[in-house]
Amino acid sequence: MPKIQPGDLDRIGEKIKRTMLVREGAGRAKVTVHMGTCGIAAGARAVMKTVMDELEGRQVEDVVVTISSCAGLCSREPMITVELQNEPAVKYVDLTPDKAKRILIEHVLGGSIVAEYALAAGSERSL
Amino acid sequence: MPHRANAMICTCTNCISNGSLQIKEALDAEIQRRGLQDDVLVVPTGASGLCVRGPILVVQPDGIFYQRLKREDIPHLVEEHLLKGRPVRSLMYVPPGEEAPIPELRAIPFFKDQRLVALRNRGMIDPDKLDEYIARDGYKALAKVLTSMTPDEVLATVKQSGLRGRGGAGFPTGLKWELCRQSDGGSKYVICNADEGDPGAFMDRSIIEADPHSVLEGMTIGAYAIGASRGYIYVRIEYPLAIERMEHAARQAYEYGLLGQDIFGSGFSFDIEIFRGAGAFVCGEETSLIASIEGRPPEPRVRPPFPVQSGVWGSPTSINNVETWANVPAILNWGSAWFSALGTETSKGTKVFSLAGNVHNAGLVEVPMGITLREIIYDIGGGIPGGKRLKAVQTGGPSGGFIPSHLLDMPVDYERLSEVGAIMGSGGMVVMDDDTCIVDIAKYFLQFTNDESCGKCTACREGSAVLLGLLNKISAGDGEETDLELLEELGEAVRDASMCGLGQTLPNPVLSAVRHFRDEYEAHIRYKRCPAAVCRAIISSPCQHTCPIGQDVPCYIGLIAQGRFGEAVELVRRENPLPGICGRVCTAPCEEKCRSGAGGGDAISIRALKRFLADHERAKGPALTPPAPPPRAEQVAVVGSGPAGLTCAYYLALEGYRVTILESLPVAGGMLATGIPDYRLPKEILQYDIDAIRRLGVEIKTNMMVGKDVQLSDLRDQYAAVFIATGAHRGLKLNIEGEDSPQVLDAVDFLRAVNLGRDVTIGNNIAVIGGGDAAVDAARVAKRLGKDVRILYRRTRAEMPAAKEEIEELDREGIEIQFLVAPVKALRHNGRLEGLECVRMELGEVDTSGRRRPVPVEGSEFTVAIDTLIPAIGQEPDVASFADGNGLKLSRWNTLEVDAETLYTGAAGIFAGGDVVSGPATVVDAMAHGKTAAQMIHKYVQGQPIVRHYGVTRPALDVDVVELTDAEIETLHKPEMRLLPLPERLGGLREVQLGFDAEMAVAEAKRCIRCDKETEE
Repeated sequence: MPKIQPGDLDRIGEKIKRTMLVREGAGRAKVTVHMGTCGIAAGARAVMKTVMDELEGRQVEDVVVTISSCAGLCSREPMITVELQNEPAVKYVDLTPDKAKRILIEHVLGGSIVAEYALAAGSERSL
Repeated sequence: MPHRANAMICTCTNCISNGSLQIKEALDAEIQRRGLQDDVLVVPTGASGLCVRGPILVVQPDGIFYQRLKREDIPHLVEEHLLKGRPVRSLMYVPPGEEAPIPELRAIPFFKDQRLVALRNRGMIDPDKLDEYIARDGYKALAKVLTSMTPDEVLATVKQSGLRGRGGAGFPTGLKWELCRQSDGGSKYVICNADEGDPGAFMDRSIIEADPHSVLEGMTIGAYAIGASRGYIYVRIEYPLAIERMEHAARQAYEYGLLGQDIFGSGFSFDIEIFRGAGAFVCGEETSLIASIEGRPPEPRVRPPFPVQSGVWGSPTSINNVETWANVPAILNWGSAWFSALGTETSKGTKVFSLAGNVHNAGLVEVPMGITLREIIYDIGGGIPGGKRLKAVQTGGPSGGFIPSHLLDMPVDYERLSEVGAIMGSGGMVVMDDDTCIVDIAKYFLQFTNDESCGKCTACREGSAVLLGLLNKISAGDGEETDLELLEELGEAVRDASMCGLGQTLPNPVLSAVRHFRDEYEAHIRYKRCPAAVCRAIISSPCQHTCPIGQDVPCYIGLIAQGRFGEAVELVRRENPLPGICGRVCTAPCEEKCRSGAGGGDAISIRALKRFLADHERAKGPALTPPAPPPRAEQVAVVGSGPAGLTCAYYLALEGYRVTILESLPVAGGMLATGIPDYRLPKEILQYDIDAIRRLGVEIKTNMMVGKDVQLSDLRDQYAAVFIATGAHRGLKLNIEGEDSPQVLDAVDFLRAVNLGRDVTIGNNIAVIGGGDAAVDAARVAKRLGKDVRILYRRTRAEMPAAKEEIEELDREGIEIQFLVAPVKALRHNGRLEGLECVRMELGEVDTSGRRRPVPVEGSEFTVAIDTLIPAIGQEPDVASFADGNGLKLSRWNTLEVDAETLYTGAAGIFAGGDVVSGPATVVDAMAHGKTAAQMIHKYVQGQPIVRHYGVTRPALDVDVVELTDAEIETLHKPEMRLLPLPERLGGLREVQLGFDAEMAVAEAKRCIRCDKETEE
């Protein structure tokens, strides 16, 4: 491998920035896909895949995607929770991959809540 | 596409030895099996810090911290957390003394109070992946230095930062570099000293294992500043994983061009060699280290010249410690001002400590300089396990010193540590509880330095041997009064006359121990006591040595194990005239020191075994009292018939004296009869032991109050000597408004009235104030009288001084304890008590007793409706009736003053002991006083000098150890005490504990490991 130059450091860092963000639990936004049995049965895996693919396709680096279990509202699955830094969490219900894509573009990247899919702002304290 | 979760599995040496590689394997397999390989990345990391809880797994991005993992936990963990998103609570960290786990690493007190600079990447990167180091700003400092800074600018930045050597001595790093830079010499060297050898220290190893590039980057920056082109990393061969990771890191750095020729195209070149040290402690000393690299015997040489002038191969060399190097990139990245904002005036930045010993959260901590020892030990370390007390903190390993617990609020920096006789050292911090013998530990360190002395200087070689010999002599019980002086004088001589740091600092553990724990040395030398019950040659066994009356526990337990109950009783009775009583209500300090109970095991039920013997004796017939000796003419009066008085009378009677006990109450026994309720100590048990004493000719006159029915001066005239043991029967006042109500009745008065069968009027709704045995006794008696009763205690359950098994019975009997509540005012209506105003408390700072001090919560006052208040917050002696005019002196606690060794009051012929001297203490302490008083009174009456002679503890008999079968070794366990069923308890005072039967007793006795028979290796 050729010797690296100072400018290469950032390039190497960028390559794995998403991974490091996951580790640091940091990032501009966090998207939690609820993957309880209910969520998975209602199609959470497809929602998850859409979210991941969209972020990848748009080369978004500062959004962390994670999963959690059933949010307690099984009839409204699939659900995701979107948390932008310094803003209250928003739960979305009855999702499809298309709806998830719109939330990703408008809320996660655009910053405005998609009110028609939203259940409520706020999230119960975890554990 | 990146993974949505990272499973960071700790692969430090510690976690690996706890099986973390097998867990990683299981994780990989399970993730594969579940098809999660694209979702979850498994990352091996260096030490997380909480090494004692390993193996450790942290799942990111949520930072869920799992600990003490086992292979079989993994399938469940993967399914629940990684597949379904449900973190597994049962595998999380639970703080000591609490029940709810803390899921997130950053919320765990151990982690949240740390400040990571040198350890900035720990647990966040795979140490074998250079890219991950780079992604966390790695090598940016080097790039900045090589492309935009002159060596002088680098030197200036490091000097301004205030960074001092982390290897121990604290020499300013920037200055060392500057001196090296200014030295003449062709090629210059930098060396990373990773010859970490202090027992209990693992900072350097952890830094290299977790983040080797931080050291390489720091060294390269240093080399540039100094003008060095070569560097050595000197790692001891006992650190194979650190060596492996460092070699791998260096290979990668060479590949990327971060080491070698023309780094970053700057023209600066730097080469690294990893040197394996053979593990001699002296190699940590810089001139020895250099000799070792050069292939010479590792012996120090005189400085100057210092290595910065003439180091390896005669060239100027800067030797810095691993942690120092790891700090350098952070300083260059974020600036000297950022770094020097951390820490104290003289000590900047952070320090990594390896916290070890008797502390809950042993591990690696990085904290800002200036933090207090208390914060490190209690907030981060989680305090002392097993309800023990902190005795000392040892910093700096064999070169360091002991810091006693009263200096706990001292800020930690270089200067403050050396002021108290310790040193920062490389960061070893060993926490010691009260089961640690200071003499023993000093001996351990001296043994270490004596072994490791290279032998070049006579002062170090011979001095350490003589110091060790003195310590061995003291811990063998052969110490003499002059030994302490000799230790100090010789220690100072070794310090002054040794050439290198090893010899100069080896007396530190001894000198600081003598400085702060002189009384413990004196206990060994003068009294042949080892307070921690450790020094084998003195103690024989911890239980026997700890027993205030020297009961030969291992021998009588050994006899029980062989079924020789009669001989066992006889042995118990040699040192104890009240076995039935001690077998029930002794606080059993022996059990606290029992070796079987060490490290989380169950102590032998010594008290219950004694009770078994006493019950056996009672069932078989009259007590086995020794034959009465030929009578003497002299008579002795004993005032008070409690455990001190009875014991004194017994031993005087065995000497042939005619003894008369004067008791002010209608019954004999003192607190045994009037303070302890029947359900703990039935009257017939007390009577049985008292009758045995009477049979020796001791006369007990009840209803005889000294000062009223008979004068103390008359007793002095009529008897050859008088022993005062009137106890402490007056309850302490709460000092609150309304306490003078007739419905306020002290616990001692209440228990006495019930015990004597007197009429006592109490209401139906009772509050007892206090947390000691008297409070618990009063509450349980009131409950048995059919009353509604609760206990209010100003601290928490953990701090309650009452016996643990008694507190458990409170719960079972349905008596509520309200914790963290203190009374403020007794509320009255028309002169009758109708309520109690209370305030809630919270636990504040730890006080000198090692317990957290309760402080009132402002505005939290509330009212409890009660009709009777029973304070039980302590007792004091009441000597008003006889103290005056007899030459007796009172302390400020209203106790009688006596010579602590002989119990002589100084007033002719009058001795005193028990609670009237000590204040409220235990039955067995009072008995010990009685025993000593009998010996001293005998000397006094015979006209001999009143002095005590002290000897080491020795077994009374040679009792063989019972060989256990394999099945017994497997199955023996501490038996549950048989208890009276709950419905049979209320409405009466029947004994609750039912004791062991013969089979249980033999089985329990067999469990004794007979440490008295242990031979020195």
